[in-house]
Amino acid sequence: MPNWIPNLPEQVRRLALLVVVVVIAFLIVRPMLIPAGFGEQGHFRSGALNDAVAHDYKYAGKASCEECHDDMTSMLASGYHNNLSCEVCHGPLAGHVEEPEEVQPEFPRGRNFCPVCHEYLSARPTGFPQIVSQSHNQLKACINCHEPHDPVPSEVPEKCSACHGKIARSKAVSHHANVECDFCHSVNEGHKTSPREFRAAKPIDRNFCGQCHADSENGSDAPQIDLSSHEPRYVCWQCHYPHLPEAK
Amino acid sequence: MDELIQHLYPLLKSVTGYIYPNEIELHWGLLVSLYPYLTGLVAGAFILASLVKVFNVKELQPTYRLSMLTALAFLIVAPLPLLLHLGHPEKSYEIFLTPNTNSAMAMFGFVYAWYLMAVLLLELWFDYRKDMVIIAKSSRGLKKWFYKILSLFSKDISDKSVAFDHKAVRIITIIGIPSAFLLHGYVGFIFGSIKANPWWSSVLMPIVFLFSAIVSGIAMVLLLYMVITPIRKQQLDMICLDKLASYLFYIMIVDFSLEVLDFIHRVYESEESIKILASMVQTKLFGSLVIIQVIMGMILPLATIAGVKIFKVPADLRKLLYFMSAILVQIGIFSTRWNVVVGGQLFSKSFMGLTTYKMTFFGLEGLLISITLLIMPFFILWILMKILPPGGSETQEAAIQVPSP
Repeated sequence: MPNWIPNLPEQVRRLALLVVVVVIAFLIVRPMLIPAGFGEQGHFRSGALNDAVAHDYKYAGKASCEECHDDMTSMLASGYHNNLSCEVCHGPLAGHVEEPEEVQPEFPRGRNFCPVCHEYLSARPTGFPQIVSQSHNQLKACINCHEPHDPVPSEVPEKCSACHGKIARSKAVSHHANVECDFCHSVNEGHKTSPREFRAAKPIDRNFCGQCHADSENGSDAPQIDLSSHEPRYVCWQCHYPHLPEAK
Repeated sequence: MDELIQHLYPLLKSVTGYIYPNEIELHWGLLVSLYPYLTGLVAGAFILASLVKVFNVKELQPTYRLSMLTALAFLIVAPLPLLLHLGHPEKSYEIFLTPNTNSAMAMFGFVYAWYLMAVLLLELWFDYRKDMVIIAKSSRGLKKWFYKILSLFSKDISDKSVAFDHKAVRIITIIGIPSAFLLHGYVGFIFGSIKANPWWSSVLMPIVFLFSAIVSGIAMVLLLYMVITPIRKQQLDMICLDKLASYLFYIMIVDFSLEVLDFIHRVYESEESIKILASMVQTKLFGSLVIIQVIMGMILPLATIAGVKIFKVPADLRKLLYFMSAILVQIGIFSTRWNVVVGGQLFSKSFMGLTTYKMTFFGLEGLLISITLLIMPFFILWILMKILPPGGSETQEAAIQVPSP
């Protein structure tokens, strides 16, 4: 025994003994309690991967559907829903792949399914097709007019508000209510059927707004500014929201 | 599909604006709010105890052991809300077997264990060792063995040995102060480091948590001292009480200033989340934040103690005012924890809508369990005070009279 140990106060020796016993007990017990395979591939039990793999598959994947329903999947691939998997609408289909007759897919034909994605919500991106289901052809199911595998509007929209509802609602209560959309945005007719291919143009020149707002001789009641002195380094829409110009 | 989402329909009525589907239900509720409240009390009570041992505030000596036992009682209960919330308490020891240094939450297990074993239990052991030896000597049967085991069969109560105990207590307290800061600062850190949540993500969070913890700890010890002393048929030490109230007052001023600084910083910074946070404070959190946390829990007790300090208030009225203030502070600090934990989940990450927290009465996350967990530390404290009497038991006092051999 080292000669400094007896010089330690009695209580410290007892405490140290307890700590040593606890530490040794921990070191002995620890390897017994750590599950086999822990840490082999990361901070987890490697057997957990096999446990997860052993679960029943529920989803089959688009490729499996393609084997029998290539007409549908090719239609889907060319349309706006090309990013969706078949099982988003038809439910998990691993069982159907195994036993096509016994297990049937879901066919959500009611009006309550499509609005999960297409109901109007202000947070959805501009241009994403949205409807207010309470006022949109109330008595008809969606699939009466829209083919879900290649969804296009049943008829070409006449007004911009069909897709840009949020902007239309803001503009309707603003001082710009009477300004037509195409007064500011030059739009190719193709935009109505292929909105992402044919983009609408936006005015980029200060003088465009100046037509109404910087020409006191045009007889307009619109607020007037001097373009040369009014924040010359900025384009108008950097400070003023054109669809609701009175917003601050 | 319908069955899965059926129970969410009633909640939709209390949703305003736009929220993402997974934000309707709050994942951290009452139990998780309880946890920072309890750890805060631990850290606060310990800091108060350290005032006596490290900073030599002699007036607070009557509360030293009470503070230490309070800290221990609350520390024993502190992890229970988390264990119940996580749902598999039997697996909790695993974080000690396979420490994950990348997880702040997993490493908290070690902070907790360090604080419990290396600070609180060790300091209490050294502080009570002489008493335990004396009680063991003067008792018979099971009681004798109980105290013998507690004192690790220690026998030496010579002046030299007891002087060593005092020195050890002082050193442990000095280590204990940063440890207490670590314990509760860590809780604040866990919230403050969640950068995806603008209500939580703030570097001030750990320090605000810490000072509010000290406030709650001092107020809790003040309350317990005022309740327990008459039960033990002893006289309240007014000098000690005044000192406690003074410390409560000073720390509350620092805490309030930090919270105001945090508020001003957020408003001035005016990040994109400011509108939804302002709307949340004005609607969903108005009662718990503006009324309870700020007005009832902070301004009112501050004004009351300031009034006591300015005007000559008679001792009996002083006691009443201190008592009322300490209760208000407790409610206010619990509300602070609630507003942090629940508030951080009430607004949508789209910053366009708010949801509501629905509390249940029964069940693992319910009010009943939380009330039980809140009562438990007091029950544990009662047992601890039976085992380790803060003022020394009659037997012990009598035994102390016997000159040591």
